[in-house]
Amino acid sequence: MANMAVSRIKREFKEVMRSEEIVQCSIKIELVNDSWTELRGEIAGPPDTPYEGGKFVLEIKVPETYPFNPPKVRFITRIWHPNISSVTGAICLDILKDNWAAAMTLRTVLLSLQALLAAAEPDDPQDAVVAYQFKDKHDLFVLTARHWTNAYAGGPTTFPDCDSKIQRLKDMGIDEHDARAVLSKENWNLEKATECLFS
Amino acid sequence: MDSDIEMEMESDNDGEFDDDYDYYNTGEDCDVERLDPKRADPEYFEYECLTVEDIEKLLNELVEKLNTILQITPSLAKVLLLEHQWNNAAVVEKYRQDANALLVSARIKPPTTAVETASTSAAAAAQLRLSSSSGYRTSSSASTSSLTTAASGNPQQQQQSQPQRRMCPVCASTQPNDKFYSLACGHSFCKDCWTIYFETQIFQGISIQIGCMAQQCNVRVPEDLVLTLVTRPVMRDKYQQFAFKDYVKSHPQLRFCPGPNCQIIVQSSEICAKRAICKVCHTGFCFKCGMDYHAPTDCQIIRKWLTKCADDSETANYISAHTKDCPKCHICIEKNGGCNHMQCFNCKHDFCWMCLGDWKTHGSEYYECSRYKDNPNIANESVHVQAREALKKYLHYYERWENHSKSLKLEQQTIDRLRQRINTKVMNGSGTWIDWQYLFNAAALLAKCRYTLQYTYPYAYYMEPGSRKNLFEYQQAQLEAEIENLSWKIERAETTDRAVLENQMDIAEKRRTTLLKDFFPVIVKT
Repeated sequence: MANMAVSRIKREFKEVMRSEEIVQCSIKIELVNDSWTELRGEIAGPPDTPYEGGKFVLEIKVPETYPFNPPKVRFITRIWHPNISSVTGAICLDILKDNWAAAMTLRTVLLSLQALLAAAEPDDPQDAVVAYQFKDKHDLFVLTARHWTNAYAGGPTTFPDCDSKIQRLKDMGIDEHDARAVLSKENWNLEKATECLFS
Repeated sequence: MDSDIEMEMESDNDGEFDDDYDYYNTGEDCDVERLDPKRADPEYFEYECLTVEDIEKLLNELVEKLNTILQITPSLAKVLLLEHQWNNAAVVEKYRQDANALLVSARIKPPTTAVETASTSAAAAAQLRLSSSSGYRTSSSASTSSLTTAASGNPQQQQQSQPQRRMCPVCASTQPNDKFYSLACGHSFCKDCWTIYFETQIFQGISIQIGCMAQQCNVRVPEDLVLTLVTRPVMRDKYQQFAFKDYVKSHPQLRFCPGPNCQIIVQSSEICAKRAICKVCHTGFCFKCGMDYHAPTDCQIIRKWLTKCADDSETANYISAHTKDCPKCHICIEKNGGCNHMQCFNCKHDFCWMCLGDWKTHGSEYYECSRYKDNPNIANESVHVQAREALKKYLHYYERWENHSKSLKLEQQTIDRLRQRINTKVMNGSGTWIDWQYLFNAAALLAKCRYTLQYTYPYAYYMEPGSRKNLFEYQQAQLEAEIENLSWKIERAETTDRAVLENQMDIAEKRRTTLLKDFFPVIVKT
């Protein structure tokens, strides 16, 4: 069985390498070890989204029973998205759970994830806080997502206002990532974030 | 109990139950009771204990019946019956109305016929309806072109690739056309992949729910294809066992005996929360929910109560903190990640983890739940007071529940002592063994009454305050008094007159029956 998993992964690896998307640099895949059980994927943030210009790294673990069970995928790059946990990078996507089909490939998974970045499903959220912001304060959501893309995925847009607020919290002895997470959650209200951290 | 009070009560009861007393002792030929046991005994329940073979026969008969009516394969008939709670008439009616819609809803056919698999598989789908079990095999050469293009770089592809060969999209190897199988949806995969796929699914406990391997395709794999391809005896057995379990569970009139390692299945046409006793392992259980019999409390409430009572371990705390029951099939679900959109592993019901509402009707209402999660202690002030009050109330009922449970066990010891005492008496020549038999009857009746009494406490706990609750608690108190009275008399059997004891038995049983008649939810008043 494992043999089939390896031969499938090898073929899919080639499929990704030969695909149009790799020419456009929108998806990438590389090996982590020699046994083909773990791979590293990378997807580019789709244009006209807050993730534009960012590169998002994914951890892909291939189970023994692949392709009859789905690969285990999570974001290594931190991301602000309703369907992806801002803490663990866990992804809520049907094809990675019950709707996985043996005929799907790594390429379809990567493209589906890219599509997920372009079209969030706030009614089916993984991260309730992000989803709330997405629906209720959409402008702030776009700003936060863009800021996270800049901070973690090499996105182009900087937000001096955000950075200065994070710096304020850092000066109080808070870890940068914690500060960013709390400020994002509190809609960049420094007072509330401070209250949340110290109460 | 003080003997004065006891005398008083006795006389009270004598007055109150004079009619009953006579009724029981003289009414041997009362045929109302014999003609309609349902009216006389609120717990009367007709059922049969069947073996796995009996049930297989029964299900096969249903399948055969449908086969002959609709001219379909047994495997297809099973799927259709499973989807309709084994209601033959419903299947036939739906089939006559719209066969296509029926096959689509039972996931035999895809909702819309796939465009790419043109004529051959459409014909195969039509064939399927006309009972051809060979409909799974595609010998088509029409759809090969689209598949083989992707195989050009495959290392395993042979140089001299023949036109009759193509690549399986799952294992990526090229194989002759006759190795390929497909369902009504036309998605075609090689034999080996189907086999491994089936085995993987069976290993995970999935049997009749196995679906097609293609993306976005939920067509179900019928039993005969699985059994054609899976050849390992272990896996075949497992598949058949799981499938059988699913069939029994989907049949409303059948229930597995919950006794350890017991293979018996109880069948009854009356689907209600009454007591069934397995004839093999003698386990008594509620027919509706399969747990310990719990009249007068209903299935949901006893479930709630038992979960609450399991509080002496951290397990209960963990269960209440991390798991919830599926709102449809009530299986316990632990959420170990993922979003609030849950799909029950058991019954495939989609629901919201936060509010347990149906996900379909849910949509944008999600945020109600999010608020609830973020801020669970609205009106935090009174919560502590409320919690304390709630605990006090709970303990009141729990202590009594637990007390009766213990008494039941203690009275088992009383029976053992009783047996010894009777033995000594018989040895000493005071009466024969038969003379003292009534004491065992009394003890058995006591256990029966106390069992019911024990289960009145969860019922009372979850009752809304009001006149009905007052009435219930009044009857409960009466029953309790009579039971304690009976218990007292049995323990002092030597000094109690036999007639007095038997009178007390009648009274206690009458109280119990009255309470059940008034409050046992399954009773249909005729």
